[in-house]
Amino acid sequence: MIRNLYVVYGMIVLGTLAMAEYRGWSLNSVNEVKNVPRSVRDNPGSYRSVYSGYHHYTGGK
Amino acid sequence: MSTSGPNPPGTPQVKALNCPGCGAAITLRSFSQAVTVVCDHCHSILDAQDPQLTILQKFKAAVGEDAPLIPLGTRGTIRGTPYEAVGFQRRTIHVDGMPYSWREYVLFNPFKGFRYLTEYNGHWNDTSILRSLPTVNDNMSPATVTYLGETYRLFQSTKAGTSFVLGEFPWQVRVGEASDVSDYIHPPRVISSERNGNEITWSMGEYMAGRDVWKAFRLPGNPPDAIGVYENQPSPLSADTTALWLAFVGFLVALVVMFIAFESFARNERVFQGFYSFNTNVRGEASFVTEAFALKGRTSDLELTTTSDVNNNWIYLNYALINQDTGQAYDFGREVSYYRGYDSDGSWTEGGHTDRVAIPSVPPGNYYLRVEPESDFGHGTIAYAISAKRDVPQASYFGIALLALLVPAGLITWRSLSFEHLRWAESDYAPAGSGDEDSDNAGRPTGLGIFGKGSDS
Amino acid sequence: MTQPTANCPNCGAKIVFRWSSSVQTVCEYCKSILVRTDIDLKKVGQVADLPPNSSPIQIGTEGIYNRQAFMAVGRIIYEYELGTWNEWHLVLNNGSAWLSDAQDEYVVTFAAPGRKLPAECRVGQHYTWDNETYTVTTITKAHYRGVEGELPFQYWDKQDVVFVDLMSTNGKFATVDYSDDTPVLYLGQSVEFEELKLKNLRSFQGWS
Repeated sequence: MIRNLYVVYGMIVLGTLAMAEYRGWSLNSVNEVKNVPRSVRDNPGSYRSVYSGYHHYTGGK
Repeated sequence: MSTSGPNPPGTPQVKALNCPGCGAAITLRSFSQAVTVVCDHCHSILDAQDPQLTILQKFKAAVGEDAPLIPLGTRGTIRGTPYEAVGFQRRTIHVDGMPYSWREYVLFNPFKGFRYLTEYNGHWNDTSILRSLPTVNDNMSPATVTYLGETYRLFQSTKAGTSFVLGEFPWQVRVGEASDVSDYIHPPRVISSERNGNEITWSMGEYMAGRDVWKAFRLPGNPPDAIGVYENQPSPLSADTTALWLAFVGFLVALVVMFIAFESFARNERVFQGFYSFNTNVRGEASFVTEAFALKGRTSDLELTTTSDVNNNWIYLNYALINQDTGQAYDFGREVSYYRGYDSDGSWTEGGHTDRVAIPSVPPGNYYLRVEPESDFGHGTIAYAISAKRDVPQASYFGIALLALLVPAGLITWRSLSFEHLRWAESDYAPAGSGDEDSDNAGRPTGLGIFGKGSDS
Repeated sequence: MTQPTANCPNCGAKIVFRWSSSVQTVCEYCKSILVRTDIDLKKVGQVADLPPNSSPIQIGTEGIYNRQAFMAVGRIIYEYELGTWNEWHLVLNNGSAWLSDAQDEYVVTFAAPGRKLPAECRVGQHYTWDNETYTVTTITKAHYRGVEGELPFQYWDKQDVVFVDLMSTNGKFATVDYSDDTPVLYLGQSVEFEELKLKNLRSFQGWS
């Protein structure tokens, strides 16, 4: 009984793994932005990113 | 076809008689099957086959003897057959001078005969006499018996005596007499041998939960709580750990195969590489875009690697991967920082020169990167490189999957092992590595040796 | 099927034989033990009152054993130290057998002549008959306590007799009957009540 539950569970784990590897899932968080205009190619500064103004550094010890 | 003649044998009646010792009323519920019957007033054991009910033994009942949990005369259904509780006894063993007792109930059905229920610490067993001999394997140590293809392992061997009796018994019962009892387990079953003189009676019990007994006899209230783990109590997880680990090995093999397959078939294609330097002494717009590159194949990840030679410094890159045709963008930021120094413990480093990130599920198409670097002002020029690889299998996921498969199997096995440890703690014959081998903990009641003396014809 | 009939030489009542090979029967009315000779019935004794007995089987009970139908036509009641048990004489299509009922534990056995039997036994010894190994489980000293119905031999008024019971690991059962000068072996097996599919049983007060 437990063995059968485990087998089902294991198949789900492997199935998820296969999907993740095949479709290129990632654990990283990435923001998707839509409809970026072509003008960005010519004027990169016009693109406003969520991540700009990042002031962070890992200090020393 | 009816029975013979003018005087057919009458329908057997439940008999009501008087105790020759004290005159109290005695009921014989098992018709003429009982061999002994006990008067519960004066505690005389009477010969039930003798019309005069000759007194065989008189015993002193200890004060405060608990009444049977199933009152005599109660009817219940076991395995589809109705039975009536007709007898009760308490049996005691002594371990290191300490008495341990269990209780036994004699059940009767006029067609099917006798059955027994034993109870110890809230654990119950449905027991009946074996009609076939088990095979004793005494060449093994500890001994085992085989019955109907299953092997039962010796759990306990004790001398059990009857300490209190009530009601009717299909054999001779005497308070004080002891016999050698051995229990062999194969949870949820147990086979008991009871030796009297040179005769051995074999019986088999099947573990029963208290609430099933209460249901069968429709008893009021609640059954006593089960304490500890009983010798033949079935393991709650019913974990066949061998089967579990076999399944794990199967999954491991599948995992390795998948790993090899993904590694072999992935494109792992370098689609872009660029070398840049960032002047931190200059203010102003630092963002730029790279040339376009094509991402081919199915929707898969894009692994972006940022390397920089920062020394006690950091650089942060604001990235956007933009699809030239659809305008879809993936926005994220990555940092590369590296610090080192000396202190009282010696030299230390923190951070690294390389950062890798996988952008998920990027559909094929033409893309370019918009990059905006950031760092502390006035620290000179930082050189960095960006490269991108299409369709890179993420090895860490395989590690996660391995853990996900390992942990439940490990937990279940651990639980099962601790349960078995508790079970064998009560036995003198624990297998090596479980239970206490120190006989200090030995000899808790096994609870199945039922029979005083004698058996069937 | 014609059943032989006769009249009781003691009281004149009609006796019907359910089994044509019965050697002895008991007149239901006057309890005389009657033995068949070539010509008629001869009274040889009287049955004392039968002890109270709670076997669910009675004369006329029918059942199935090994896919053969049987009927109980007679019995012997044995008494031993701890009480009594019944040996019911069963009649099947092709012979007779015995159904032992001891505290509702049932064993069916058939006479097995021509096997090597020990002069004496001890508990725990092993013997092999018909490729099955048996172990002696009990040795009982018993005596006849009463008879009823039709029996395949003459049986009344016997002394204490030794019975040796043996069991095997396959549910088979054997009994050696030391009543006569030559011991007699019966081989058979333990059966569960349901397996016999008994009909026409006794009823018990309070049990449906």
